[in-house]
Amino acid sequence: MRTFTKAALLATVAAVAALPGQGAWADTSGKRIALSNNYAGNSWRQAMLRSWDKVTSQAVSDGVVAAADAFTTAENQVTEQAAQIQNLILQGYDAIVINAASPEGLNGAVQEACDAGVTVVSFDGIVTAECAWRIAVDFKQMGKDEVLYLADRLPEGGNLLEIRGLAGVFVDDEISAGIHEGVAETGKFEVVGSVHGNWAQDVAQKAVAGILPSLPEIVGVVTQGGDGYGAAQAIAASGRDMPIIVMGNRHDELTWWKEQKDANGYETMSVSIAPGVSTLAFWVAQQILDGADVPKDLTVPFLRIDQDNLEENLANTEPGGVANVEYSLGDAQGVIAGAM
Amino acid sequence: MKRLASLLKQPWLWAWGGALAVWLATAAYTQGQGSGQVLSAALTFGAFFVIVALGQMFVITLGPGNVDLSIPACMTLAGTVSMKAMEGSGAMLPIGLLLALAVGLVVGGVNYTLIRLLRIPPIIATLSSSFIFQSAAIWWNRGLRVKPPTALADFATAKVAGIPVIAIAVILLAACGHVLLTRTVYGRSVVAIGQNMRAAHLAGIKVERVRAATYMMCATLAGLCGFLLAGFSGGAALNMGEEYLLSSIAVVVIGGTSVAGGFANVPGLWGAALFLFLLVTMLNTMGAGAGLRMVLTGLIIIGVIVAASGGKRRT
Repeated sequence: MRTFTKAALLATVAAVAALPGQGAWADTSGKRIALSNNYAGNSWRQAMLRSWDKVTSQAVSDGVVAAADAFTTAENQVTEQAAQIQNLILQGYDAIVINAASPEGLNGAVQEACDAGVTVVSFDGIVTAECAWRIAVDFKQMGKDEVLYLADRLPEGGNLLEIRGLAGVFVDDEISAGIHEGVAETGKFEVVGSVHGNWAQDVAQKAVAGILPSLPEIVGVVTQGGDGYGAAQAIAASGRDMPIIVMGNRHDELTWWKEQKDANGYETMSVSIAPGVSTLAFWVAQQILDGADVPKDLTVPFLRIDQDNLEENLANTEPGGVANVEYSLGDAQGVIAGAM
Repeated sequence: MKRLASLLKQPWLWAWGGALAVWLATAAYTQGQGSGQVLSAALTFGAFFVIVALGQMFVITLGPGNVDLSIPACMTLAGTVSMKAMEGSGAMLPIGLLLALAVGLVVGGVNYTLIRLLRIPPIIATLSSSFIFQSAAIWWNRGLRVKPPTALADFATAKVAGIPVIAIAVILLAACGHVLLTRTVYGRSVVAIGQNMRAAHLAGIKVERVRAATYMMCATLAGLCGFLLAGFSGGAALNMGEEYLLSSIAVVVIGGTSVAGGFANVPGLWGAALFLFLLVTMLNTMGAGAGLRMVLTGLIIIGVIVAASGGKRRT
C-alpha cells in the first residue's frame, strides 16, 4: 500500500515537474490526511469536526488532497488514541492531524508515525514529540488579556471572581496562570474567589451560586469560556449588581450579552479559540506535504469579540454553538510566515 | 432516651449531620454572611441530585451488581430531545415533558433488555448502552444548545418565600418515593430481592418484573432530571449529565443505603445531596485549591460512609 502510494506520489511529482505553470497544489493531490481526535462530547468539538468536514471536503473535491478523513476516539483515553494513530499509520496516511488526549502520552505513537515518514501536526491538544508540528494556543496570554481588558475598563480596580476550567488539565492551569500574572502586573485587582466550572454552563452556575453569598462586592468575573452564561444566571439570581463578565464566544453567552447591551448598555468582551482551528491545522499539514518550510511551533490567533462587532459575530454563530471562523490556505500561510 | 437511641441508629442521620456541620462551618467562616442564600442554593442544586439518586437507590437496592451507569447519557438525551421538540414554545411544554419521560422509559427498557435477554451484567449493559444514548444525543442536535421555554425556565428557577419551588416539588417526589419504598408491595419486593433474590423468588415475588420496573423507573427519573436541568440552566448541553454519574451513586451511599443492596432509605438522599453541595461550597469559600478540595471531598465522603455503616446494619 505504502509503496503504491509512494509510486503514485513519484508519478504525480514527475507529472507536475513536467508541467511548469500548474498550481503548486498539484503536489499534494494524491496525499491523504487523517484527523485523529480524542473527544467529541461538547459543542466546541462538534463545531471543530463540522468545520473540518466543510473545509476538507471542499479541498478534496477541488483536488487539493486525495482524502481528509476524521476519526474520533470514544473514550478520550491516551491508549485508545495511540492505537488509533498506529492504525492510521498502517492505513498509509501521509499526514495525521492530531488533537491529543495528552501532551506526552502519545509521543510513542507519534514517533512511530514520524519514523514511518508520516507528517504529524498537532493542534489545540498538542503533543511534545520533537518530530511533530504544534499549533498551540497561547492560553496564558488569553488569561492575561482578560485582566488587561478589565484594568482598562475599571481604573479603580476591585474584587474579581475567577471561574476555572477542569482541574488538572493543562489549559486550565495556563489560563489561570495568565490571569494571576495579569492581576499581579496591573496591581489593582484581587481574586477573592475561585471555583471550577469545568467549562460547562450548568457546573459554573452551580459553583458560582454556592460561593457567591460569601463574597464581598465583585467588579469582574474572569472566565475560561463556556462558563460565562452560567455565572451571569447565578449572579442575576442573587440580586447583585452585574459585574463585567468576560465571555467565551459561546452562543448563549453572546446572546445574553446582546440582551444586556440592548437593555442597559452592558459592555464586556469575549475571547476564545475558534473551533475552526482544525482547518488551520489541515492547511498547515497540506503546506508541509507541499514541501513548504514550516517552523515546528506555530501559534493560533484568538477570536476576540468586542462591543462593536458583537452583532456581526452573533449573527454568524449557530444557535447553541460557538463563534467560529474557518481558515483558508492563505490564513495558514500567514500564520506560517508570522512564525518565521 | 430509648427514642433518642433509636434515632441515633437511623442510617440517614449521618448525612444530615454532615450537611449541618458543613453548613455551620461555612457560616462560621464567613461570619454568617449569606448563609441563608447558600442554603437556598443547596436546596436548588440538591433537588437535581435527589431526582436521579431516587432512581439509582431503587436500582442499587436490587442487590449486588445492580447499578445504572447510563444516567448521564439518559439525562442528556432526554434534555436534548425535549428541548428540540419544544423549540422554546411554552405551549409545547406538556409534550416536551412527556417526550423526556418517554425517552427515559425507552432507555430503561433497553437497559433491562440488555441485562435480561443478553444476560450482560448491569454495570456493563448500562455503560455500553450509555454510549449509544450519548451518540444519539450528539446525532440529534450536533451539540447545539436549544433554549427552554420561558415557562419551564421560570418554574425551574422560581422561589416561594425564599425556598426554591423545584426543591419543594422534589421533596414531594421524595416523599412519594419513601411511601413507594416502605408501604407498597413493589417497594418491599425490591428490598426482598436485594436481600436474597432466590428467597424472594420462592416467596412468590415476580423478580424479573420488579427489576424491569426498577430500571425503567430509574431511567425515567433521569429523563425528568434532564428535562428540569435543561430548563434550569438555559438549555440542554451534551455534557450536562457528566456530573451525575458518580454523584448519583455517592448520594445513595452517603445517604445510608446499603451498596450491597437490600436496605434503603429516602430521607438520607436529601441529606447526602445537601451535604455534597455544601461540602464543595465550603471548600470553595475557604479558598481550597482544586487538588486539596478533591482530596478532602474524598476523605470526608469516606468518613461519613464509615460512620454511617459503623452501627449495626440490616443487610
